[in-house]
Parts: sequence; structure tokens; C-alpha cells
Amino acid sequence: MSKLNATDIQGFVLRGYNMPVARYLFLHFEDATRARSLVGRLLRKVTTGQRWDRGKPPNTLNIAFTHRGLVALDLPDAALLTFPVEFQQGMKKRAAILGDTGLNSPDHWDECWRTDQIHAWIGVNAQSPEALDVGCAEVMALLEETGGATAVASQDAAAVVIDGKPTTREHFGFTDGFGNPDYLGVERKSQPGQGKLMPDGSWAPLATGELLLGYADEAGELPVAPVPHLLASNGTFMVYRKLHQNLATFRAYLEEHSARYGGGKEKLAAKFIGRWRDGTPIELSPDRPDPSIAQDPSRSTNFTFGADPEGTRCPIGAHVRRVHPRDAFGFNSKLIDRRRITRRGLPYGPFAADGEAATDQEDRGVIFMALNANISRQFEFVQQQWIEYGNDAHLGNQKDMLMGNHGGRGRFVVQGDATTTNPPFLCGNLPNFVELRGGNYFFLPSITALGMIAMGLVDPR
Amino acid sequence: MVGVAVRKARAISPVVMPHTSRRVESEPMSNINGKVYAMNVITPMKPWKTWILRGLFFVLGHVKPLQNDLINLSFIEFARWVILPRKQFPFLGKGQIKEDLKYDYLLFFSNFNGTWNQYIDAFSAVLSRGLNMIWRWSEKFPGSVPVTPFKEYIARVQFDTDYYYTSYPYATANDLKSAHIVQSALDSLDQRTQTCSPEQFAEAYLKFVLQVQSHLGETGEAPVAF
Amino acid sequence: MPNKNGSVYGLTILSPIIDDESATPSHDLQIREYLAKLPTGEESPFALAPGTHLCRLVVMDDVIYVGAPACEEHLHSKYLVFESNCDDDLDSYLQGLAASVPERLDAIWSHCVGYPGASNPQAFIDYMKACQIETTFYFAAVNDRSVTETLSALQTQRAVADFIACHQTVKPEQLQKEFTEFMAVLKAASVPRPGGMAPRRDIKTGGRNE
Repeated sequence: MSKLNATDIQGFVLRGYNMPVARYLFLHFEDATRARSLVGRLLRKVTTGQRWDRGKPPNTLNIAFTHRGLVALDLPDAALLTFPVEFQQGMKKRAAILGDTGLNSPDHWDECWRTDQIHAWIGVNAQSPEALDVGCAEVMALLEETGGATAVASQDAAAVVIDGKPTTREHFGFTDGFGNPDYLGVERKSQPGQGKLMPDGSWAPLATGELLLGYADEAGELPVAPVPHLLASNGTFMVYRKLHQNLATFRAYLEEHSARYGGGKEKLAAKFIGRWRDGTPIELSPDRPDPSIAQDPSRSTNFTFGADPEGTRCPIGAHVRRVHPRDAFGFNSKLIDRRRITRRGLPYGPFAADGEAATDQEDRGVIFMALNANISRQFEFVQQQWIEYGNDAHLGNQKDMLMGNHGGRGRFVVQGDATTTNPPFLCGNLPNFVELRGGNYFFLPSITALGMIAMGLVDPR
Repeated sequence: MVGVAVRKARAISPVVMPHTSRRVESEPMSNINGKVYAMNVITPMKPWKTWILRGLFFVLGHVKPLQNDLINLSFIEFARWVILPRKQFPFLGKGQIKEDLKYDYLLFFSNFNGTWNQYIDAFSAVLSRGLNMIWRWSEKFPGSVPVTPFKEYIARVQFDTDYYYTSYPYATANDLKSAHIVQSALDSLDQRTQTCSPEQFAEAYLKFVLQVQSHLGETGEAPVAF
Repeated sequence: MPNKNGSVYGLTILSPIIDDESATPSHDLQIREYLAKLPTGEESPFALAPGTHLCRLVVMDDVIYVGAPACEEHLHSKYLVFESNCDDDLDSYLQGLAASVPERLDAIWSHCVGYPGASNPQAFIDYMKACQIETTFYFAAVNDRSVTETLSALQTQRAVADFIACHQTVKPEQLQKEFTEFMAVLKAASVPRPGGMAPRRDIKTGGRNE
């Protein structure tokens, strides 16, 4: 395969920056010429995938566009029409497909997402709130100077800080950040369990084309991509979803149901996700959390479900098992390999530790961002078939316990055995622990493509 | 699309499935009924190749392990291949003109769960050799890997269903298998506990729950096709 | 026997459609129009007649030209394809159709060459067999359960899940007693109607797949 040119790929695609604070600015373009000039100015500041040999910068900047944004930038129609249909439609129109109905329907979204005014996303990550403000101020200054866009909304996000240190915890108390796939050629420490499962039981990186356009994918071809090549290559698609978390409801539900569950509260919580709250996979350690596994990258994702077909250790409907079934469907992981996504994102809103009061109304949740070469085959498929539905896991219409759009119905089954600490257990009358408050689909172009867009040089074949 | 108006459930024993007389709006796509998709495919074959295919189907039908992959891809409810030789199109006289064809035809009818893309993606990923063995005798078949030309070919040789009926629209092949497991386990529990103490019953019941615990998925409406 | 797999039968019928230029609309279009309005749920003729797991009706206009170097050719007639996955042996199945829903069968097949009508079951069976094509290879996920057994099992599955959910912390005496009652009710329950809707939902939150 061709070697990746890290200077041409936006850094946000190739790595999670592990910076504790971020702000996402959402722009609206009024005039194509001024917008392109803005893109050109921003381009010089965009963080690429180059390694930070001299230490991390204080802040980073990346940019992505909705289809309407590309239209507003005056790309030729012939190029615009080659973008995938789901991207052209935008996430709001795909609501029925994604199960974004009821409480998650666009009617309940934040105002900026209910309209179609968002043309671009600018992600500023930073090492400190001060550096964040500096980075954002620079962006705002460029907006002023070029008159290229208005910022119609912004979203702050930050890692949860516990005992003065940023962590990867999210609001329900679970440790997040596991499970991003390994891709061929993407510079990263390879971790067993992250890629695809080979017949001999080892793990190999996924084809680059599952993440980046312009490279061979797992189906043995160059994936369908927008034209021209240069516009699409080294770019990818991003799904942005603001997920509000009903912390009070979650805590009350867990409290009430764990009182009847023989394994206790922490184990029940672990059964929902598939990991203990410290991140230990319950498949490897079914009885207790084990920091020696959770904190060891060679072990924390290194497991399969083949030895647990009944779901006795990790329930069949647990979150990690739903979104990354590994070998659970047979054929090694061949039915899974093209359904993987790379997650970037951070929590938002005030953190309430266990024991501190919290309400559902407080504005907290997680900003979920998924990167993939093909939104419908990857993200939409997982969302529709594995989160809001359960047939592939032989669970009928059952939804993901934490993320499902339950509307007060549905069931989650904790499969168990004959021991009193691991009994079979059914949870019903499921509330919406998570509610969708908005989002859209974005295209994250390469540095070259950004330059073409800025100069108005996009020429379809 | 119209949402289904729901009447308030009567308070009834959980066993009896409420029977509603309100019809669901018919599916916009005639290829789909509930959770199952009706695919029809016709491909031409040079007649000398038909014999090879017949031989392959014979082997497939009699060597059971060859069907394992097909069984493990558990989203097909029923599927069939029908070889239609060029001289065997039904001819009933009465003014019908006899067919005069060069090719034999291979018909394929599938009833599967999931989306069209998901179905073909799965086959291309794990059953490509089997698919190639069956369809390589059809004219212009591009192979089942890579998947994009394969999908283009299928789209060209697929024709649409006019009327599709299923007795159990809200259940998939997986649901059916699970339902039968639950029924057997329940019948067995019932038989074994006709006369026993409560404690013995509780023990047998726990064993029963463990038997059925991964087969309790609810049936219901299908996700929106995309 | 290729047409069978276990206790299910793969019936493939190709009926030539009458080609009469004076018919307006043409016979194939009339079939299509009728099928477009025919119910596919509990009121389907295939729900009212016994033994059909899944079936389809397709008007096959022509063979498909796959492109050069393949040759282009065309059928002289259009065909009505009837693909059925059914219980029983063939004769009982066809008999059941003719006995239960003769008017609907006539409405569909009267547009086909040589169709005798369903009022004479034997003539109907002979006609269908004259149009039958042998299924070369037949696959069934579940090949040993009838339609009735399947619908009962689905009902049982739902009822069992509800029972288990409601009896998670119940003492053995009460559990046994309520189980006995449960079995009595379940055994007395009628088989759900084929082609039926999903059970009613208590809370409407809009949209599909709730």
C-alpha cells in the first residue's frame, strides 16, 4: 500500500489529540468568494497529521464542511453530485433511518441543528482553557477580517477532571476511549483487539480505505468516493452527534435494578456496557475490575467472544459487544471489518461525581464524533442495525441499553449462570438514558483539497 | 411515511397477542414485507454450462457441510435457485407462442432479512467462492469480489416483486430459530415438572431460564430500508 | 427431491400471461394493478388459505440483456411467477388455495393462458402442475416447522419473556403456582393469525422500530 503523507491529512483524522479541552465552532457562509478566502487563511493554521516531535502544540485547528457548506463554497455541481447521498441529505433527513425519532427527533434538537444553516465545523482542541481561548480568538479574528462567515453556534467540551487530572471518564462514570480501530499505515501503536481478526487468532490492522478515501478498503477495491480524486483523497467523513445524558435517570435506574440483581450495582453497570467502570473488559475479568488489564494496552482490548457464546460473561446486548462484535458472528471478523468507526469526542457539561446531586435537565453529555470512509456503510449501519436494533446478535428488536431510543419500552437481558452473583436478569421499561440534541454529517478534506476549495480549483472530471 | 396510530392496550394476560383490525399502510417498496426482502434475479447461461451447474447443485444438496456457511449467515429465511432450460418454459398452447431462446436461464429467489446492501456485502465478504461457483456460468458475471462491480451486476439482473406475503412479517430467521428453542424448552419444562415440589420446580425453572436467556428478543417493526 | 427441504416445499410456478393486443390495459398490467391493491397482511389470500410461510407473485416481463458480448433475446410471452414456501405436500396446498380463496385466485390467474378457474380443484391443481418448474436447489433456515407451529412459537417466545421478566424475585411456591396458571392460559390461547401486525405498543413515540 502507498505510504501515508501525514502532511496532507488533517491531524484530527489520524489521531486523538488527548487534549483536555475543546471548542467546536459552527460557521455559516454568506458569500462564496469571501468564504473561500477564509478557508485559505484558515488553511495555514490547520493541524496536519505530522508527528509532534518537539512536543504538543498548545492548540490545534481542524475544519470540515457539510454538503450545504460545499454548495455555499460554490463547488461545481458535477462534483457536488458525486458525494454520497446520505452526506448530501444531511443527518436530519436520515432521522427515520437512524432511529432518531420520538425524544431524539429533530424537533427536539438545539436550534442551530434544526435549521440547515451550519456549513462548517471548526474544531479547536487545546491543552488549557487559556490556550483554547487564544486559538478561538484567532479563528474569530479571521472571520472578522475576511467577512467569510458568521459563527452561528459553538460547543464547548472538556475531559472530565477528577482529583485535578483530566480523565477519559464520561458522565455515567464509565471509562471511555477504548476500541478505536488500527488502520494500515496510520501511525499508531498497534493494539491487539483493535484491528481485524485473522484465522490464526492474531489481530491485523484494517485496510486504510476504511478510514481514508483514496486507499484500498477491506472489500479489495478503492471505495466509491467523490470526484475529482484530489478532492476526496486523504479525506474522510465525520458524523457529529450531540448526545445529552440523563444522569439522574441513569443513576435511579441503576440503583433500583441493582437492588434486585445478585451481582450488585457495579457489576450490573458493567453488564450494560461490557466493561467495568474503570474500563476492564468483563469478558476478561467477569467478577471484578482489574486495573492491570484496564491500563495495559496489550490487554485492555485483547479479547474475543467466541468462548462466551451464551453471553454469560459479557451480555450479548452489552454495548461493546454490539458495536464491535469481533468474532461473535463467525467467519473471524469478516462481517464486522467494514462496520468499524473511529471515535473522537469529549464530554461536555458539569461533571457530578457519584454522590453529588445531579438532574436530567443539567446540560451535560458527550459530543460524539465518528470518522469513516463511508457514512452509510459504517456509522449508519452500526447505528441502525446494532444500536437501535438487535437482529444480528439474535436479539430481535432490542436496542442498546445505554444508547437506545427506548421510549420507556424494551428490554435488556443480562445472561447469567446458576451462581447467585451472576444470575440471569431482565431489565425492562427502559427510559432514554441518552437523548440526541443535534448533529450533522461533515466532510473532512485533505490539506490539498482544502487548498483547491480555497482557490476555487475543484474540477470534476 | 405515516406513523402507525396506536390504540391503548387492553389490560390482558400477557400471553394473548392483541389482535388489531387496523391495517398497516402497505410498504412503499413491494420488495419488502416487514423484516424480509424478496429478491428476484435472472441470468442467462450458455446451455452447455447448465449441466455443470446442475452437477454443482447436486453436490451442494448432498454434501451437507458445504451448506454450513450458508446456514451460519443466518439472515436468509428461504432461498432457491431454479434452472430454467430454454426449451422448458411452460407452454400451454391456446394461442401462446412457443419460446425460441439461445440461452438457458438461472432464476434466483431469496427471502432475506436486513438491507439489500448488507445482504450483498455479507455474501461478498464470506461466501464469495460459493457465489462464484454458482454464478460464474452466467454471462457477464464479474465475480463476487470486489463488491462494487458485483452490486452493479445484481442491480442489472434483479427484477422487482409485485406482491410479497409472509406469515410472520415481524420475525427474522433468527427470531424464528429462537422462538422454536423457547417453545421446546418450555414444553420440556412443563413435562418435567408436572409433579414436583416448589423447590424442585424453582431449580428446573432456573435451568430453563438459562436455556432460553439468549433467545428472548422481541419481534417488531423493521428498521427503515436504506 | 429438490423441491422439498425437510417439511417445507419450494413451489415455483411460471404461468404464461395472455398476450392479447386488444386488451386495454394488457393482461400483465391488469395483474399488476390487482396485485398492487391486494392486502399483504392478515387479509392476504395466502393468510386465509393454509400453509404458506412466504410467497411472492412477480410479473416477469422479459429476460434481461446483460450486455455485449452476450446476445440480446426476448421472450414471446410474459410470465406470472409464483414462488411459494409452503407446508404440506403440493396437492393439499393447492387444494387448500382453491377451497379457501377461489375468487382471488381467479382474479389473478384468469389473465394467464389456459387457466381453468379454481372452482374445479383438480383442474386447478393440474393447471398449476403444468406450469411448475422444478426447484433445483432449495434452502430453508427452518425446515421442520409448519406455519401454525411457527406462529405459536413466536407467541410463546413473547409470553415467556414477559413471564420471566415479571417473576425475577418470586418465591418458589408462588412461582410454581403462577407458572401453572401461565401454561394453562398459553395452551388455551389461539394461534395468532398469519400475516399479522406486531402487537400493540403502549406508548407512542412516533416512527418505526420502537
